[in-house]
This record gives sequence, structure tokens and C-alpha cells, in this order.
Amino acid sequence: MAEMWINMGPQHPMTHGLWNLRIKVDGETITDAEPEVGYLHRGIEKICENRTYTQILPIADRLCYGASLSWNHLYCRTVEDLMGIEVPERAQYLRVAALEMQRIASHLMWLAAYAADLGMMIGFIYAMRDREIFIDLLQSLTGSRITYNFCRIGGVAHDVPPDFERDSLRACDYMEKKIREYYDLYEGSKVFMMRNVGVGVLTKEDAMNLGVTGPPLRASGVRYDLRKDMPYESYPEIDFQPITHPDGDCYARYCVRMEEMLESCKIIRQALQRMPKGKWRVLAPRNAPIGTGLGRVEDPRGEGMMYVVGDGTDRPYRLKIRSPIFVTVSAAKRMLVGYKVADVVAIMGGLDMCIGEADR
Amino acid sequence: MAGSRRGAPGEGIERAPMKVDGEADERVIRTVIDSFPTTVKDFQKVGAGVLRAKIDRRDLFRACKLLRDRLGFEHISMISAIEYADRFELVYHIACYGSCMLLELITSTPKDDPTVDSVSAIWGGANWQEREAFDLMGIGFNNHPKLERILLPKDFMYHPLRKEYKEGP
Repeated sequence: MAEMWINMGPQHPMTHGLWNLRIKVDGETITDAEPEVGYLHRGIEKICENRTYTQILPIADRLCYGASLSWNHLYCRTVEDLMGIEVPERAQYLRVAALEMQRIASHLMWLAAYAADLGMMIGFIYAMRDREIFIDLLQSLTGSRITYNFCRIGGVAHDVPPDFERDSLRACDYMEKKIREYYDLYEGSKVFMMRNVGVGVLTKEDAMNLGVTGPPLRASGVRYDLRKDMPYESYPEIDFQPITHPDGDCYARYCVRMEEMLESCKIIRQALQRMPKGKWRVLAPRNAPIGTGLGRVEDPRGEGMMYVVGDGTDRPYRLKIRSPIFVTVSAAKRMLVGYKVADVVAIMGGLDMCIGEADR
Repeated sequence: MAGSRRGAPGEGIERAPMKVDGEADERVIRTVIDSFPTTVKDFQKVGAGVLRAKIDRRDLFRACKLLRDRLGFEHISMISAIEYADRFELVYHIACYGSCMLLELITSTPKDDPTVDSVSAIWGGANWQEREAFDLMGIGFNNHPKLERILLPKDFMYHPLRKEYKEGP
């Protein structure tokens, strides 16, 4: 049968944002694939060159709607590295707790979208319901639901509201109970398992060479988690384990994310219990010195990284953003070739695409 | 839950079982400087597990190959292109999974000839990042498999991250 190219996107239920996947098919089998991104390019790096360091804070939030706090925090870390600011200990623990809540919310949104992609509407509703609990927690902490704008250069915006610790611990208890329920719900579904197990295998060598990071890398059997391997904030004092899975298929990515949520609950508990009293913010200078700053964090989707060049003024000379999904999606061809057209939804859904950060 | 487990540090990586300590840093420094005595400059430690070096652009490809094959730097994190008044600078952040080290390799090109050798044959992850640098900053990469615009439309006429391109009307 003659081979032909098919466009999946930019308007397609699978894409979760605007991007296009071109696949070459021989009957039902994929023989080549080429993702196309750029539909959501807003030129954030250029915009940042014309804004002061403080004005960039809310822009950094807009990089990813699924995990905005993570990008806001990464930007603050990068500029703190450039300015040489030491963040107070209370702010570090607060950031860790908020980041892990964001990770759970982001993973739950992924789980909801993934279940809906695989034709399991009930999974969508359960995961979205429980995501709301963590959104509510973050709302009580920061004041907004999606783009939090919580971190500041030199700390965080506010201290915790009353009863925040009690509510968070209650939410963690609830979540840990619910994740056990999820295992029955998702893995009890024959359709979910049949579309997951053995689909989209990415070998360890390919994952390492193609720059894949985050849950897809750990699901290919490489234990690399920047919270452990290049620790930042107060992660070194917290007891948790990076999760790996040896298989490298869609099911492995699902397992890694599910267990990461349990680990995140553990981290939130420890961070809130160990949080010392004291200041939560130090003042930052208006102008940055001449030099460079580097920030590198474990985003829910992989390795987020920013590199800033300061020229002594109040605006960055250059701000470079590394998006984990931009690099991960370039490895899509290696995951897709050899599988059927019906597997595309599972494979690309399993990567947790967020086009806002990929296109910048 | 079936099958997933807590990994040991550096699990799944065969090469370069180094630890983050002075000895490993020194080993990297010595190997790279010995191999390129005239073109590697300013090798220094800038933070916990972060090294920085400047290298001549003619030796970039060979140095990267050596870093991956002999020192275990398996992961290209980020390629940033920066425009200065007199030069373009390319900053390669290269990470090692085993020793958790990060190397900042800086190379520069003159304004009238902004080209370097592509490293996408060494790390597949560099492919799209080099295309991005070409798209937004107009850096040419020799021997790149497909050097085309990636974020902007194919008929876009400028490289918008250059300083001569002004934002707004």
C-alpha cells in the first residue's frame, strides 16, 4: 500500500494546545513522524529583554498553564543566582511545599486529560475533582487559581494563611487514600491497560541521547531527578525517593507519575512540619550586576532551565529558557515509529505536553 | 504500582561512575585541557557541581565527542545563543547523569561569520535546540541534518532575538 502523510493537528482533540503532528503511514503502521511546534510562539524571551526584572515575574507564570508556579519559581531562582541573593529558610520551605502542590495538581491534570484521551471519561472526572483540592490550597496561599505569581526575587509574596498547615496535611491524607483508589480505577479498566502496556517504548539509550527529561526519562530506567541530583531550596533536608520504572512504555510513564504524587505528599508533610519561623522575603536590588545566572529545577514535565545575562541595568540583557517539552517532543519520532495510528493518542498524551512552554 | 521501584543513585548508567567531588572535577579539567592545550581557556568551578570553560569554535565538535565518549557527559541540557556588540556567544550546558555535574561550555563566533559545527550527531537532543538558535538568533550550524526555522513561519524575514530587531511598532 502506498505510504502517505497525515496531519494530526493543529486542531485535533489529541493535541491539547496548538501543535501539529505529521505522521507517515503505511496502512495503519507509522513509518515516520514529524512534530511541528510554534503556533503559540509569543516571543517571551524578546519581551523579557524589554521589561524590568520585577515586571517579568507574571510573564514567567504564563509559560505553562499547568504548572505556572514552577516557572515563576525557576525565574526567581535564576535572578537570585545572578544577584547573589540568599533566600530565607522559611521561604525555601514554603516554596518547596507550594511546588509540590503544583506538581500534584499538574500530574492530576495530566491524568485527567490522559484518561479522557483513552476514552475513559470517568477517570477524567475523578482526577479533575481531586485536582480542585490542591488548586484551592494554592488559592488560599497565593490568591489565584492558575497563574499564581507567588515567588518573589528574594523569597515569596506572603506568609501562610491561618490553618494552612492543617488543611494541607488533611489534603495529603485524602490524596494518598485516593491514589490507591485510582490504581483500582485505572488499572481495573481493560481498555486503559490494553492501550498502555507495551506501547511507545523508548529505550534507555534513546532517552538519554535525545535529551528526554523528567517522568519519561525516569520511566525509561534512568534515575535522574534534579531535586535529588542537583538539589535546590530545602530539598536536601527532605526525605524522599525519585521514582524509576524499567519498561519505558506508556504504562511506565503512568506509574512514575502516580508514585511521584505519593512522594509529593510526603514532601509537603515534611516541608510544612519543618518550616521554621522567621522572615519569608528579603529585598532585592533593582539593578542586577554584570554577569550570568543559571537556574535548573525539576519541573513536573522535566528539566526546566533558565540562563540570564545581566548588564548592570534593571533589565536582563538576555534570558534564555529551556523548555523540557520542546526537547522531549523532538524524540516523538523514536516513540511513534512502528506503532499503529490508534496508539498516537496514548503515546503523545503520555508525554504531558504543554505548548505554552514549548513555544515560549 | 506493579514494577515501579525506587532506584539507586545513578542507576541505569553504565559509563563514568564518578561522584561530585574535587577529584572528579579535576579529572574532567585535566582530560579536556590535555586534549586541547591551546584552545581551552578559563577552566573554573563556578558553583556546586558546575564547571565553566571557554573553547575555540574549531575544536567544539571534537571536544564534545570527547566529553560524551570518555567522560560520560550524556545529556545536552541547553544551547543558548547570546549576541554581544562584537561577537555571538553560544553556551552549551552539558550534564553528566552519573556524577551529576554540569559543564558550561562557551564558544564565540565573529559577527560576520556566525557559524559553528553542529553537535546533533553527538546528542540527538541538540537537533531542535540548534534549529531554535538558528531561527531566533540566526546562527548557522555546519552539518546539521535539517537546519530550518522551527518556531517562526518559514517565510519570516528576521532573526528576532538579535538586538537590531526592535520589539513593538
